[in-house]
Amino acid sequence: MTGSIERWLGMCVLAATRMLHGCAQAECSSPSYDEAECRVVAENAMARLATAGQIEVRFQHPSSTDDATWIAGGLLAEVEPGVVSARVAGAGDFAISVRPPETGGAQELTLVLSNVDPAAVVTVGRVGEEVEFPADDAGDTVRRLPIDLARGDTVWIRGHRPCPDRFRIAVTADIQTNPNQFARIVERLGQEAVDAEAAGEPLVALLIAGDLAESSRQDEYDALHLILAGLPVPVAVTVGNHDIYRPLRPEFTRSFGPGNYDFRVCTAKVVMLDSGSGAIARSVEARLPEMLARDDAEFLIAAMHHPPHAGLTGAGWSREDMAQHLLVELAAADADLVLAGHNHALHDYPDISIGDGRLREIVTGTGGAYQGLGTPRFGYTRLTFGEELEPCFVEVPPAGYVEPQSDGLRTLDYCDES
Amino acid sequence: MPGVEPCVRPGSARAVLLSLGVLAGAVSAGILFALGDRLSQSDPGTIMVGSGVLAGAGAIIGMIAGRVFGDGPGLPDRVRRESLGLEYRSAGTNVLDERRPGTLGLRFGPAYALPNGGVVRLFGDVGGWLGTARDTDPRPQFDEGAGTRPVTLRQNRLAVGLGLELVVPLPYPVLRRGSAHLGVAELRFRPEFQYRREWLRYGENDTRIVERTMLLPLNVGVRWHLGPRQRFTFYMGPRFDIVSYSDPGGRSLARGKPVIAPLYAEAWYDIDIPLTARPRRDHRPRKTVVNSQVTFGYVHSRFDGRGFNFGPVIGFLGPLVTEYSIRVRPRGAIAAMQAGVGMVVGNGVTFTGRVGVVLPDVRRRR
Repeated sequence: MTGSIERWLGMCVLAATRMLHGCAQAECSSPSYDEAECRVVAENAMARLATAGQIEVRFQHPSSTDDATWIAGGLLAEVEPGVVSARVAGAGDFAISVRPPETGGAQELTLVLSNVDPAAVVTVGRVGEEVEFPADDAGDTVRRLPIDLARGDTVWIRGHRPCPDRFRIAVTADIQTNPNQFARIVERLGQEAVDAEAAGEPLVALLIAGDLAESSRQDEYDALHLILAGLPVPVAVTVGNHDIYRPLRPEFTRSFGPGNYDFRVCTAKVVMLDSGSGAIARSVEARLPEMLARDDAEFLIAAMHHPPHAGLTGAGWSREDMAQHLLVELAAADADLVLAGHNHALHDYPDISIGDGRLREIVTGTGGAYQGLGTPRFGYTRLTFGEELEPCFVEVPPAGYVEPQSDGLRTLDYCDES
Repeated sequence: MPGVEPCVRPGSARAVLLSLGVLAGAVSAGILFALGDRLSQSDPGTIMVGSGVLAGAGAIIGMIAGRVFGDGPGLPDRVRRESLGLEYRSAGTNVLDERRPGTLGLRFGPAYALPNGGVVRLFGDVGGWLGTARDTDPRPQFDEGAGTRPVTLRQNRLAVGLGLELVVPLPYPVLRRGSAHLGVAELRFRPEFQYRREWLRYGENDTRIVERTMLLPLNVGVRWHLGPRQRFTFYMGPRFDIVSYSDPGGRSLARGKPVIAPLYAEAWYDIDIPLTARPRRDHRPRKTVVNSQVTFGYVHSRFDGRGFNFGPVIGFLGPLVTEYSIRVRPRGAIAAMQAGVGMVVGNGVTFTGRVGVVLPDVRRRR
């Protein structure tokens, strides 16, 4: 009797354990893209492509000369036989390796590079033999490169954006249901790009810290691509909670590429983190020291959707323990600025105490999403890099208003447009 | 139940709580949607949504429980926090080569009875993860074959909490006349701190120690006895966080200063269910008194990484809690045994098990 009770109890415990945990399996064997770790798998898988002609195309670290591995530095797709589109995730430096097939297969490839600064210098060739590929005169962010693989060696495509001492980066977040307002912001940014170039401090990137769409539908992202096509600077994006609304389809990753990556542009290192699930992936947390390594960059900034320091907004990370781990790594790396969205407003937290360090966090959820009753404050934060990092806000009023409708914050002024 | 008039009308009290809950939740949600996130201090709104839903749901479940188990009389030996006990919180993962250890904690909560019917309770817990949590790097370029990936994060956690709860009944000579039918209420002041010490090893780097402290110095609350067997409790207060850390491989910590954090709140609905209220079939006296309690709660804090998310509503709400506890007291015994099971819903589901001993309050008249 006692034995059968023990057997029954054992079976119940085993069944409960199976129900709770199931059999052990590799991460994201049955992917659900509302899980941050599954998006890590997807963004890395989509940064490497074997074409129908057996050509291996991979995003690489800008300083890499080894094509054995790859990084989530962009989005690759074979749009037609022999033509591969490569959307570079960040602004500034990048590298792509193109390895010909071992035997036979295709000997030529057309690489359509997108999201590349018109002022960037792009080189093509074997290691040590790269030659500059001239930009066309279109002034847009797309370049079409013919790649000759007849010599049988891996061809490297590298990009570098030459910079003056001063430059600018624009930041916004939370577009969601209002791409029309975002189009107004992009139009304003187009004007700023011209003005900034004339002032000798070019606009080198736009960062969008998540919630590009309301329901993460492909048509929403297509509409955004059309709007962004008019912007003559690269756009670096990451994932917001509205970008993972449909967990069975990695639409964001298919449209824009990775949400976790870092890039070096001019004297700044920019780290983009995917916090769409209310936290970053644990594997990304483990890579924070590597991603936040300043190297020789003068400035270090990090952008994500959910603000790791939520203050009294009530809109922060779902996993505050991981948010505080991130703040520790940011403080230890002496980051100059943390950028976020999620809260459809403009907030500045200039003095967050973490250990013996201080962090500044600016929330710019002003990309067009609904802000409630009253005239909303739309626009972007402009970061001017020189001797110091100088943030200010540019309000882009909605249609029907000409002048800015709000004032600056106590610690964050509106940009002087005079 | 001491201090509760027998003429309390739990049905009316629950109807009022349901109305208040719906009103608070709906108005707060309406304000949040209408005013949007432009409110720089919108946290009270999300607290009222979470607590309002809990109050409304609690009132409805309480109504059903009242019909099934009865609304009275009150249980003189109802379930309260145990004086000394152990709690286990489950954890787990089905990811190959990863590990999530459960949490074991020693809980204590001795109480001191005040002459006016109030209580002062010192409460706390000491515990931590039962081992090292391991996470792997799922990037396909690091696939080691057969689904195996390199371990990339190792973490341990020590958890300590300490607080003091002061319970003071409202001055009923003043309020009794007007609110007798709706049950009595008591005020609560519960300063508390929670401390987490974590050892994080990223990749092949040396271990970094991170200390996270949550201070709740002005946590105040109110408990409403909706009937002899049902209670609604709400706490709220400002929260301050201190984050300190060591260099990788180091042991000395760079200490942080208190930083204002999201507001802290809890809402609980308790239902007492007596299990030995009916006389034995043979009419002999029962040797033990067994009472139980069902508890539903909402905790507006994601400090331990548990938040309730749905759809695109991610990063606003804390976890939902449900518990069932049983107290067993041999007739006439000074000490009672108490055990319970529970579930926490927030970034997954955590199951809890608890066992402990209940000693009489110091200076409590028996």
